[in-house]
Amino acid sequence: MESRERSDDVKPRNLPVSKFSTVSHWECTCRVLGLVGVILFLAFAFTPLPNLLAQRLATPSRLERAEAIVVLGAGVSEDGVLGSNSLRRAIQGIVLQRKGLASLLVLTGPATNKGPTEAAVRAALARDLGVSQDAIITEERVWTTREEAIRIGALLRDRQVRRILLVTNSQHMERARRLFERVGLEVLPATADDISDSDSSPEGRLELMRIALQEIIARLYYRMAGYL
Amino acid sequence: MERFFVLILVGFTSVGAFLVGVGAIGLSRECLRRAIGKMLNGVGWTLIFFMLNLTVGMAIVLVGRLLMRGFVPLYLASDVTLLFLSLLQGLTFQWWREWQTSSGGQGMGTGG
Repeated sequence: MESRERSDDVKPRNLPVSKFSTVSHWECTCRVLGLVGVILFLAFAFTPLPNLLAQRLATPSRLERAEAIVVLGAGVSEDGVLGSNSLRRAIQGIVLQRKGLASLLVLTGPATNKGPTEAAVRAALARDLGVSQDAIITEERVWTTREEAIRIGALLRDRQVRRILLVTNSQHMERARRLFERVGLEVLPATADDISDSDSSPEGRLELMRIALQEIIARLYYRMAGYL
Repeated sequence: MERFFVLILVGFTSVGAFLVGVGAIGLSRECLRRAIGKMLNGVGWTLIFFMLNLTVGMAIVLVGRLLMRGFVPLYLASDVTLLFLSLLQGLTFQWWREWQTSSGGQGMGTGG
């Protein structure tokens, strides 16, 4: 069948088409963006870039005697299951208290919907692991790092506590430390990480990148809001 | 070696697909180049929708905190499923534009 006579909007197959002649400027931009996206994905998943960034953002621990151990919140499910981050921080705080680095253990965290509060679940865990009830203080009315610093700062000032071991993950530590120092406390970092900053698996590196980017955005937000 | 396993695996299957495509099915290299261009286009649209979703999500959370005077976690806007859903949005939008462009306005509203 003759197929040469066609309407104008169908391009004849054999004419060479330059790369850009039929590609709009907008499509070009999308392709460049896509190329950047693919390169970034490969860089994040298969190079040590996320490890370097996570290490750059991290604060190392300084485990010395203090007057209280403050364990920052990280989430609990509606049926009272601590998230892995929350559990790891709680365990670190309990271990430090049991080693005698501080007598007081401050556990924070609100509830998710109508479930038990993170602070209460952690306190129960601490008691089960041998921490005396008298040594445990809970603070449930806190939803952000800033609120934790303000409320716990006031609580500890009433008890004449000035020096604390602060437990959170190493990328979060710098921002948290500054907030707690702003309310007049001397802060010793005690990190508890859910993922190692040396993790070399692609999935691990993507997770590290997510954590790092989240913390960078949070720091920018806190700076813009004047909290840091 | 383990950290590059996924990359090697995908490289291997990609080379296999190329050989099958060119050798057995008779696909052209020129069309492969265009397909890669389209793939990058799709990734680009995905990123646009992802950034849009992130920005709008964070704005909604911050406004929600002000209006409700209660706490809404910012992490709601950064759920990992957002990336996959942005991919669906990006691909759909890309194909919608291309279909509209290739139709040239003819057959608008008809079922194909």
